[in-house]
Formats: sequence, C-alpha cells, structure tokens
Amino acid sequence: MRKAVAALTVLLFTAPFVMAKGGGHAPIESSLYNPFIVTLIIIMIILLLAIGLLAHVLLGAASYYYQRQKETAQKSASSTTLKALSIIALLFVAAPSFAQDGDATVAAVQTTSSYGGLSATTFYFMTGVIAVEILVLFVLLYQLRVFLAKGKKQAEEAAGVIAYKPKPAISFWNKMNSFQPLERESQIDTGHDYDGIRELDNRLPPWWLYGFYISIIAAGIYLWRYHVSHSGPSSIEEYQIAMNEAEVQKAAYLKNSANNVDENTVKVLTAAADIEGGQKVFAQNCAACHGKAGEGVVGPNLTDDYWLHGGSIKDVFKTIKYGWPDKGMRSWKDDLSPVQIAQVASYIKSIHGTNPPNAKPQQGDLYKEEEGNKTDSVSNKATEVTKK
Amino acid sequence: MQVEKFYYDNKIVKWFAMATAIWGIVGMLAGLYAAIQLYAPGTAFSFAPTTFGRVRPVHTNAVIFAFVGNCIFTGVYYSLQRLCKARMYSDKLSKLHFWGWQGIIVVAAVTLLLGYTTGKEYAELEWPVDIAITLVWIIFGINMFGTIIKRRERHLYVAIWFYIATWVTVALLHIVNSVEIPVSFFKSYSWYAGVQDALVQWWYGHNAVAFFLTTPILGLMYYFLPKAANRPVYSYRLSIIHFWALIFLYIWAGPHHLLYTALPDWAQSLGTVFSIMLLLPSWGGMLNGLFTLRGAWDKVREDPVLKFFVVAITCYGMATFEGPLLSLKSVNAISHFTDWTIAHVHIGGLGWNGFMAFGMLYWLVPRMWGTSLYSKKLATNHFWLGTIGIVIYAVPLYWAGFAQAQMWKTFTEEGQLKFQFLETVTHIVPMYITRSIGGTLYLIGALLMVYNLLKTAAKGYFIADEICEAAPLHKETSHAREHWHRWIEKKPMTLLVFSLIVVAIGGAIEMVPTFLVKENVPTIASVKPYTPLELQGRDIYVREGCYTCHSQMIRPFRDEVARYGEYSKAGEFVYDHPFQWGSKRTGPDLAREGGKYPDSWHYNHMMDPRIMSPGSIMPSYSWLLDNKIDTASTPAKIRAMQTMGVPYPAGYDKQANADLMTQANSIRLSLKMDKIETPKDVEIVAVIAYLQRLGKDIKAMPKEQTAKN
Repeated sequence: MRKAVAALTVLLFTAPFVMAKGGGHAPIESSLYNPFIVTLIIIMIILLLAIGLLAHVLLGAASYYYQRQKETAQKSASSTTLKALSIIALLFVAAPSFAQDGDATVAAVQTTSSYGGLSATTFYFMTGVIAVEILVLFVLLYQLRVFLAKGKKQAEEAAGVIAYKPKPAISFWNKMNSFQPLERESQIDTGHDYDGIRELDNRLPPWWLYGFYISIIAAGIYLWRYHVSHSGPSSIEEYQIAMNEAEVQKAAYLKNSANNVDENTVKVLTAAADIEGGQKVFAQNCAACHGKAGEGVVGPNLTDDYWLHGGSIKDVFKTIKYGWPDKGMRSWKDDLSPVQIAQVASYIKSIHGTNPPNAKPQQGDLYKEEEGNKTDSVSNKATEVTKK
Repeated sequence: MQVEKFYYDNKIVKWFAMATAIWGIVGMLAGLYAAIQLYAPGTAFSFAPTTFGRVRPVHTNAVIFAFVGNCIFTGVYYSLQRLCKARMYSDKLSKLHFWGWQGIIVVAAVTLLLGYTTGKEYAELEWPVDIAITLVWIIFGINMFGTIIKRRERHLYVAIWFYIATWVTVALLHIVNSVEIPVSFFKSYSWYAGVQDALVQWWYGHNAVAFFLTTPILGLMYYFLPKAANRPVYSYRLSIIHFWALIFLYIWAGPHHLLYTALPDWAQSLGTVFSIMLLLPSWGGMLNGLFTLRGAWDKVREDPVLKFFVVAITCYGMATFEGPLLSLKSVNAISHFTDWTIAHVHIGGLGWNGFMAFGMLYWLVPRMWGTSLYSKKLATNHFWLGTIGIVIYAVPLYWAGFAQAQMWKTFTEEGQLKFQFLETVTHIVPMYITRSIGGTLYLIGALLMVYNLLKTAAKGYFIADEICEAAPLHKETSHAREHWHRWIEKKPMTLLVFSLIVVAIGGAIEMVPTFLVKENVPTIASVKPYTPLELQGRDIYVREGCYTCHSQMIRPFRDEVARYGEYSKAGEFVYDHPFQWGSKRTGPDLAREGGKYPDSWHYNHMMDPRIMSPGSIMPSYSWLLDNKIDTASTPAKIRAMQTMGVPYPAGYDKQANADLMTQANSIRLSLKMDKIETPKDVEIVAVIAYLQRLGKDIKAMPKEQTAKN
C-alpha cells in the first residue's frame, strides 16, 4: 500500500506541472464556450468534490478509530500510529495539490482544435487529470476499507492506543453545515411527534442557504445578459457566429489544399489509389440505390451509355455534389469532400461498359465520351437548380 | 381525555405492495426487451406490437405509473393512516382506487401495444383512459382528504404536505396536457399544435418527473427514513423552505427540454434559470434525509433498508445536480437527443425511485406480517446487485451519449461532416449491449427481493387490521406561541389551495404568452395543412411510435444544418396535432426528410431497413406493405382538424378520400417506375406521402423570407 501511496503523491505533484506546461504552449484562443471543455471541467470538479467528500469520510473514520482506541486501552502501539498518521498527512498534502489541478485546468482551457475542439495536449491533459482523480478516488476507497476493517478488528481485540485530538477537518465539516453536537439535540427538538417521528430544528446549512441565494442572483444575471442587455448571443446569433467561423476556417484550409476542386475544374482521375478511394465511397453511399456494381436499383444504371443528367465527368461531379432532389438523388456536398466526389465520379466513369448482371434498362439520353468535353448539355440547368 | 380505539387498514397496503412488485418486474422486463432491440433489431420479429416504438411507451408507462405509482400508493396508504392516527376514510374507495388503477394499467399496456397512442411522451394513453385516470385520481383524492379531515393529529407532518402537493399538481398537469379532440373511440388529436403543444407537453413531462417521481417519494422518505433509522428528522425549517421552494420552482423548468428548438428564446431562458435555482431546494430534501442519519451511520452498515435509502437519496442528489447541469445550453447542445438523457433519467429511476421502493418494501413486509425479514443476506445481495447494475447501466450510456454527440459534431478540415449518421450509431452499439447487462443485474436483484419477501410473508402472519389508540381532536384551547408555519399545517384545504396557486404561477406565465402573443410563432405563408393521405400517414407514424427514435427538430447548429437542412422554424408546425419533435435521436432527424430519397427507397427501407442502410438498427415495418389505409376515418379526421382551426375548405371532409386516392395513385406509379408493384391503398403509401412532405413547405418560399423567420 505504501508503494501505491508514494506513487500517487508523485503523480499528484507532477501532473499539474506537466499539464500547465502543455497548456502554456497552446495559443490562447477558444474558450469556456466550448461545451466539451465545460463538460470536462465539470467532470473534474465533480470528481474533486467526491475526493473531498471521501477524504472527509476517511478522516472521520480515522478519528472514530482513534476515539475507540482511546476509550478501550492504555498501551500505545507506535507502528500503527505512524501508519495512520502518514495517511492523514498524505490527505493534507493532497489537498493543496488538488487546488493546483484546478489552476492547471484553467490554463488548459485556453487552447484549441481537434479532439472536440481541443488540442491533443489539452485533451490528454484533461483526461489525464480525470484519470488521476479517479485513481485517487480508488486509493481513498481502498484506504477507507483497510481502515474500517482495522478499526473493527482493533475494537474487537481492545488493543493499544495513544492520545488523539479531533481533526480540524471534522470541525470544518461541522462548521460548514452548522451542525449541533448530538448531545445537545434535545435543545433543538421541536417537540413534534408524528407516529413516533420527532423533528429537530437544525439551522439551515450555511453553504446551502448562500448557495441558494447565489443561484437566484445567477438566474437574474442570466436573464439580464440574454434578454435585457443582449450581451449574450441568442440561439440564432450563436448559429451565425459558428457558421462564419466555419466558413473562414474552411476557406483558409482550401486555399492551401489540393482539395480545391469544383465542377469546372474536375478531371477524370486515373490513379489506382483514387479509383480505390472512389470505390470505397461508392460502396458505402451509392450502392444502396445504384447497386453494388452500378447496375441500378432504385437509382439508374451507371454503367450504360445513357444518362439522365449528363455523362461527362463534370456533369457526374455536379450531380453528386448538388443532387437532383426532385428526382430522388440527394446532394452529397456536406458528406463528401470535393476530392472524394471527384474520386467517386472517376470511379463511376471507370465502370462504364462493364455490363453487370441484372442491369436496369436505359434511362435518359445517349452520351458519347468524345463530345463530352465540348457540349455540356445540362450544365446550365444544373447551375440554375443549385442557385435556387 | 377519552381515548378512542381504531384499526389501521393494512390489507390495502398489502395489495398495493404486491402490485408494486409485480408491475416493477413487468416494467423492467419491458425495458430490457426494448434495450435488447437496440442492438438486435431482429428480436422485434417484424410483428407490430413487439417493435421498439410500441414497447418503449409500455416500458416508460409501466415503470412510472404502474411501478412507482403503486409504490406511492403503498407508502401513502400506510403512512397517511399512521400520521393522521385514523383508518382510511373509506375501505370501499380504497378498493375502488386499487382496482381502478390496476385496470387502467392493464388497458394501458394492451392499447399501447396495439398502437393506440396520442404520441405525447409519458401521456400516450388515449382519451377514454385519460378520463379513467382522472376519475381514479379523484377517488384517491377524496379518500386521502377524507382521512386527513377525520384525523386525530392536529398538525400535518411534512410527508403529507408532499402528498397534497402531489395530488393537486398531478391533477392539474394531467388535465391540461390531455385536452384532446376525439376522432373515434381510440383516436384523438391533441388540442394544441406545434410549439404550443411542445410547451404544454414538456411542462407536463418535466413535472411528471417532479410531482410523480419526486415529491411523493420525498414524502415517503420523510416517513420511512426516520422510522427505519429511528432518528429525528434533521431540520423542520429546512423541510418548510425546501418544500415551498421546490414546488414553486419545479413547475417553471419544463422548457429546458426544448433548448435550441423553435420555442421562443425567452421561454427557453426561463427553463434554464429556474433549473439553476432548483438545484438547492432539491438538495434540501437530500440533506434532510442524509443528515437525519447523523448518529445512525453504524446502523447503515447493518441494515439493508437503510442501505437502499442512502443510495436512493445519493442518486437523487446526483440526478438533481445533473438536471440543472443539462439545462445549461452549452451542455444541452451536447447531451440532448443522445443517450446521455437516458442515463440521467435512469440514475433517477433505478437509483432514486427503485431503491426507495425496495427499501420501503423490505421495511413494510416484515412489519405487516409481524415477523422479521427472511434473509438479510439476500437483501444485501440485492442491494449490491442493484448498485452494480445501475453503474453498469449508466456509465456506458453516458459514454455513448457523449461519444455520439462528438461524432455528430465533427467536421473534416474541408468542412464536410466526418461521420454518416449510421456510423455514429454502430459506434455505440457495444455500449447498448453493456447497458442491457447492467439492467439485467438490476432485474435479477428485484427478483431476489420478490422471493425474499414471499418467504418473509410465509413465515409470518398477516395483520390485516392493526389496532391503535388515540384521543380525538378537540377544539384548540391553548394559544401558546407557535412557529409561524404551524397554522397552515392545521388547515389541509388551505394547504391544498396554496400549493395549487404556487404551482399554477409558473405554468401560466410560460403558457399564456406563448398561446396569445403572435410574435412567438411567426406565420409562414407557404406552410399548408397536410393532405388527407399525408394526414393518414402521419397517424401511422404516431401509431408506430416513430417519435421514440426520430426527432423532427433541427436545431440551429452548423452540424445539424449540414446534416439535415435548414434549422426548424416555429411557424412550420402550426398544423402538427400533436407535435412530433421527439426527444431522442436513435435514428436521424426527419424534420426535412421530404424529397431526400426516392419513394422506392422508403418502400424498401420500411420493408427491411438493412437493405438500404446496412448495419441499421431500425426494425422492419413489413406490415405497412399489406395493411389497408383506414379510409373510413378520413372524413372524421378532417372534421376534427377543422374544429381545431386547420383551414381545410368547408365540406372538404366529403371530398378528402377522393384526393387521398389520387395522391396515393401517383405514389403507386412512382413506385412502379422503380419496379415495385403495390396497391395504392396500403399504409406504406400513406407513410411515404407523409415522409416526402416533411419540411418541404418552407422551401416553397422566397429565400429572404426564410432567413428572416
């Protein structure tokens, strides 16, 4: 157990420093508004609270254990004392390091991107903190169990003891809840008796009462912020902000990327990797309606010479990108990247004339590859549709 | 003073206790079956009554109204008599209440499985059952107030305050939410439409949680916990303040179920802020429970009853902490429509309600049979099975909810959605499997309890009428200074009226403006009533419980607009009686399904979803391909809609079926083009017509106007 405790202490001390470093490097940008971060922080705080609570219970158990020893015997057994005291000492040591965890959390919030809007460092840091917290919880639980078992055993054996003063943490808990000592209970008895149930009239726990006041004030501030001063965005404003940000990001990315393909610049891709990529997309998304081999099921046959919306690579690209919603072909531009669309369009061109079994009869107009690049029969119409 | 001798009625308590156990098992089995269908859709057997959409309402109604309902009645009938020092007002009414309630449960289960549903969550029962519920609830009220009035105890204990508030608020919620216009004996339409229906429904739904699953159980806690621990209640003044604060604040919080929807922003904000303020009053109950155990924690280690109570109260504390958390818009943006919500409610349901019920039954049965518990060890095992079951149930679902929400929201750098909807579903299927294992453990625990209690009863002798003595109440003579709150504790009717006023405020302030102020639901000129065929299709959609898995509400998020289309506007739903926004996206949103796929896609997909979407967990709806559309009901449906102000031309009911057939024929022809031969009057045609209409109206209007709304 000692080993585990030592390891834990090391972890608790090192973690915040390592994390703070990780957080420090990241650019200070996106913020507490990222719901993912907020959730992670909340989980951390809840775990922290749980740790605090458990630590308190453990201290309580410790004090109970010593009380028992005090009552039952005179002899002192120094080895157990040392052990128990070290546990308690550890708990006190642990408390400040939790506080550091919290600080580091705040630092880490100031980062950006990739794991649900977090940098990899921050993400691993935050999950790391959570993991450490969970570990602490387990260690505390384990200790509590050991302690209880020991306390029980010692009480039974009526073994040796040392003098012991109540822990300050206990009085903190009492103070926080403004507990009356159990012996003075009769003073706050209301005298009510319902079927043997008595009622005390303890004071409201101060943290509860002030917490309630604070929640009411917070509610007022919230309403003020969103509906009077309008300094917080409405749902729709939030949406517009998100869309603008996305637009900027996307443009910045596409500017430096080979992905910048559209229906005017697309060329038939012939590289094996491209065709393979296209085939994969096709199997996932298109085969349901057009058949595994493009023979046509609900949608038309893609292997013959007849096309409803033009058979050139540009037409096919456009059909996939914008769809023909009225005829049941949906738009894929939000699901597939431009390169993916180019790949799948190229794949479709590559299966031309394969004559798969169960092919659907021809639909649409005859299209010959030679004239494809010159006349783009339906392109004008399609542009019109996309504008609508 | 003359002491009177009288007898407590234990028999009615026994009946309700047995009903609690039986319906508990039934409800949990239904839940387990529904959970298994989520990863093994084949277990629905392509048979309408066993599909998820119908089993899920059976599960929710059974555990809420049958299991927890009977648990409440058990506890109330036991504690009320003792707290009032009086036998129940009328044994006849007790019996009527008992059999009436069990009858309703049976009818509910049968009608729900047959597809008779109003399509409003937790209020699915059709109008004749709604009326029966109202009557039985009134019988319960008369019996309860009769007992209170002839009490031999001057003041009402805090448990009874909670019972009274429960009774009056549930009556209010049930009646307001169930205003519907009957079309036939088992079909009705909600009087409210769209946004307004959503507001009323979630005012009801949220407060069903508050006043059916929380306040009465708090009342039970205030009786059974101090009894079992033999400790005084911690704080009288905490009871007072948390009681009034709780019932006042709870009622406002309904709109937090509708964050980011087409509900007006101000109503959403009210839902959020009242949820925040609700946290500490909710915790007041937890503190009063846990602190009552001060000085009795050594007993908790020994006594399974107290173990159950402690975990129940802790779960209550966790669930009521999580509630306000989920009401924050930024968290709700992630959690809503995912399994996170399911995990959250099961902390409350399995932990708080279930464990309170188990603890209470373990305490009651030995006492009513004048013996001790058959096996403490078995009860402790039940406790551990249940606790571990809850953890194994909830943790995977939290994970699933969070993971799925992140996948939904992930874009590639090129600006495309990274994951297809189906990918996000298949990703969490392992979590669904784990969850059902947790549920199974919990169920096994409950079965252990039934065995243990039967054995306990067998070794004891049932005390049907328990003798007691008490002096009758005389006119109060002493005028000693009392706590200010004592006066209302002497006046049950005043307490009733005050509770009603306190709960009515929140609902009225939110609902009246939403109904009366026109800006809250801006009109969209291009939104037209459903055609008769679409209306029939919509009723089939409601009947099959599609809303249990599919939402019809696109929130204004980048990912949802990219995935489903333009975000939903309040004006689009004005003809939706009832609204079908849903609360869970096990399948994709359907608000703009219209025109996304060809008719034949839907035909094949309904026949077997896995043909069109391999890996889909949707059940097959093959009976829609054969069932004939119930055209005889069309005129009545049109007339009902007209009564509610849907602008069909006068006399349209006579012409409706002709229009229906014309539209059906056009769909038949479009299917034929894709080599599918079908008669035009089968239900699938109506469903296709409805699905192809969804969300299309708004596309017919000019772009600038769309942006404005």
